[in-house]
Amino acid sequence: MRARVHRRGAWGGQPCSTTLAPTREASLTVGHSGHPDYTGLAGSPSPARRFALVALIVLVFVGAGIGAAFAQAGDAQAGKLVYERKCALCHGEKGDGKGPAAELLVPKPRDFTTAMPSWAVLPEKDRWNLVAHLKTLAPDTFKEAPKKLELPKEVASSPESIRRGKEMYEAIECNKCHGTDGRADGPSRPELKDDWGNAIAPANLTMPWRFRGGSAPVDVATRLANGVVGTPMPSFIDSVEKPEDVWHLANYILSLGPRTLTYATLVSVTNVSDAIPDDPDAAFWKAIAPNHIALLGQVIVDPRNFNPSIDLVSVRAVYHDKEIAFHLTWDDPTQSVEDAAKKTYADAISLQFPPQPRPGPERPYFLMGDASDGVYLLRWQNGKGVTEAAANGPTKIAPLAGSEATAKAVYVNGQYRLVIKRPLASKQPDRLTFQPAVFTPVAFQAWDGGAGETGTKMSLTSWYYLRLEEPQSNRRFVVPPVVAILTFAALLLVVRVANRRA
Amino acid sequence: MRRALGALLAAALVAGVALFVHRPGPVDAQGGGTVEVAVTYNGAPVVEKLKINKDTQQCGTEAEVDRVMVGSNKGLANAVVSVPTAKGAPRMVKATVDQHGCKFVPHVSAMMPGELELKNSDGILHNIHTYSTVNPSINKAQPKFKKVMTEKLEKPEFVKLTCDVHSWMLGWVAVLPTPFFGVTDANGTAKIENVPAGKQTVEVWHETLGKQTREVEVKAGQVAKVGIEMKK
Repeated sequence: MRARVHRRGAWGGQPCSTTLAPTREASLTVGHSGHPDYTGLAGSPSPARRFALVALIVLVFVGAGIGAAFAQAGDAQAGKLVYERKCALCHGEKGDGKGPAAELLVPKPRDFTTAMPSWAVLPEKDRWNLVAHLKTLAPDTFKEAPKKLELPKEVASSPESIRRGKEMYEAIECNKCHGTDGRADGPSRPELKDDWGNAIAPANLTMPWRFRGGSAPVDVATRLANGVVGTPMPSFIDSVEKPEDVWHLANYILSLGPRTLTYATLVSVTNVSDAIPDDPDAAFWKAIAPNHIALLGQVIVDPRNFNPSIDLVSVRAVYHDKEIAFHLTWDDPTQSVEDAAKKTYADAISLQFPPQPRPGPERPYFLMGDASDGVYLLRWQNGKGVTEAAANGPTKIAPLAGSEATAKAVYVNGQYRLVIKRPLASKQPDRLTFQPAVFTPVAFQAWDGGAGETGTKMSLTSWYYLRLEEPQSNRRFVVPPVVAILTFAALLLVVRVANRRA
Repeated sequence: MRRALGALLAAALVAGVALFVHRPGPVDAQGGGTVEVAVTYNGAPVVEKLKINKDTQQCGTEAEVDRVMVGSNKGLANAVVSVPTAKGAPRMVKATVDQHGCKFVPHVSAMMPGELELKNSDGILHNIHTYSTVNPSINKAQPKFKKVMTEKLEKPEFVKLTCDVHSWMLGWVAVLPTPFFGVTDANGTAKIENVPAGKQTVEVWHETLGKQTREVEVKAGQVAKVGIEMKK
């Protein structure tokens, strides 16, 4: 009964309510009549839809930063025009979340709070008109004035506040979803669903630049206090020991990672004289500056990866006269090996190079080369270790015989740290010899097997350049003084000769 | 002396309120009859089982979710029976749901519009996440130190309770427009007392089997028996 009412309710459109739990059992209802139906008010939108709308409206406000001017009236008709131009692609013409782009999005577009960007770019009048239009889609919800969330007085970040935040993080068990170190690897992660039944991932709290709701302390505290509507994230304002704990928690969360990252444009390889440790957690590696590399989903060949799990790899690279080593750090919320029953695959990462150094700017096709021009890969897979391989495209990868590479990986609280080593000069003619002071093309690919990534479902980069920094010899300390002394001596000689002639 | 008198007065007031709060049954049920409902189901029980990977100390290692619980003589447990046609003064009884063993206890509870008390006797993080249509949805965390929370459900509706931390947790709260209701026991029976005499409608609701109604003639001082079979 209820389900049917939804489908021809004010919203019209697709029967998206089939994913909504309360309507599923209601649809089993056998006919009844003779008394008022108090379970499904005819025509009233489902809570999911209503909350999504509220969320959208809240977002429009947040984006606009003008929450105070709540009472301003808008023109719903004009708002509809803006909606059709700017929102309908994802949220659907009828606001049912079934726009043409919906299938490509995770989380699904109903969840405005995490999938929708700020629309501050729109003129303010348009935003208010949009609000008026969206309110007409859920008239019942907006009969009463919304309650305004009052946050306690802001607490500035300090070591004490961060300490209290960590204490609270543990007491209220944020780790259940967000993980011990905040890397979204908590034990409840695989179970999480949004209000529409779609799988949804918790936020990785060490990457605040990804927070859709903003990464200022007030943004984080607001989400903690209020929850994120439509998602499993609950409201905590009544569930912390003291209200101001939401600020301590926000301060702690923002201490887990940098606010922004500077991405590398060149991977520089540091020359070292010491032995290079195999252990990824050795202190040696902390002294090497990381190169942050952004990865994107592979969307060129089928099957494509529109929602890549791994979008950042931090690379530390060193070499000495015998070996080159790459230290890679990336977040992966699920440590997985190949398991046909669970439909998971081995977590993997690879570094890609041309098979030989070559003069000129021409490089193989960045997506693992092609039939005429292949690439050389250093490929690491969880459970299998590292192999050297040659590829002529993403589906044509062949391991190279006599691999000279070694690797050691650790996985802790949602993060891989991996060291891959290889001789600087290869004895084999089919693989690259690394040369100092030469710009060597390099690219990266990564797979989160737990998220079903395998084969062409990967995240990747285009070509970067790798440069082995030349060893810094002592000559720079010797040559200039010698030149100076010789010049001075020559000067003295000239003066003496001149004096003698005079 | 004055202080003692004040304390006595306060105590009397509290006792009075408590008496009122705990007063069972509708207030104006003079001359009512009893409706005894036997709900049966001609099918197999449905139990979902799944492995638990966390909080095993509180939750155990395997969760069992009773979607359809069938007892002796095909009796269907956890069905809400009510007489929506009978009006009466509100029962001032708060419904209480405990989160115990990573289950909502009871699995199904019934109340009139008002307050729902949520207990967390597990001492681990749960979150009350409700699915509803006419009542505002609730998604509130209840960490280990928050032993009791009170939420409002002000409109008649069958509200689903879930917990995102433990996705197998499932409960229902029937918010009913009448004080004449009950939840069937393990044998599928429920007794509703003091129902006003006359022609009434009995409604049965079950979380997976839907809703059915029956007309019944209630006579003062007598027991009207109603048998309802739920179908898939």
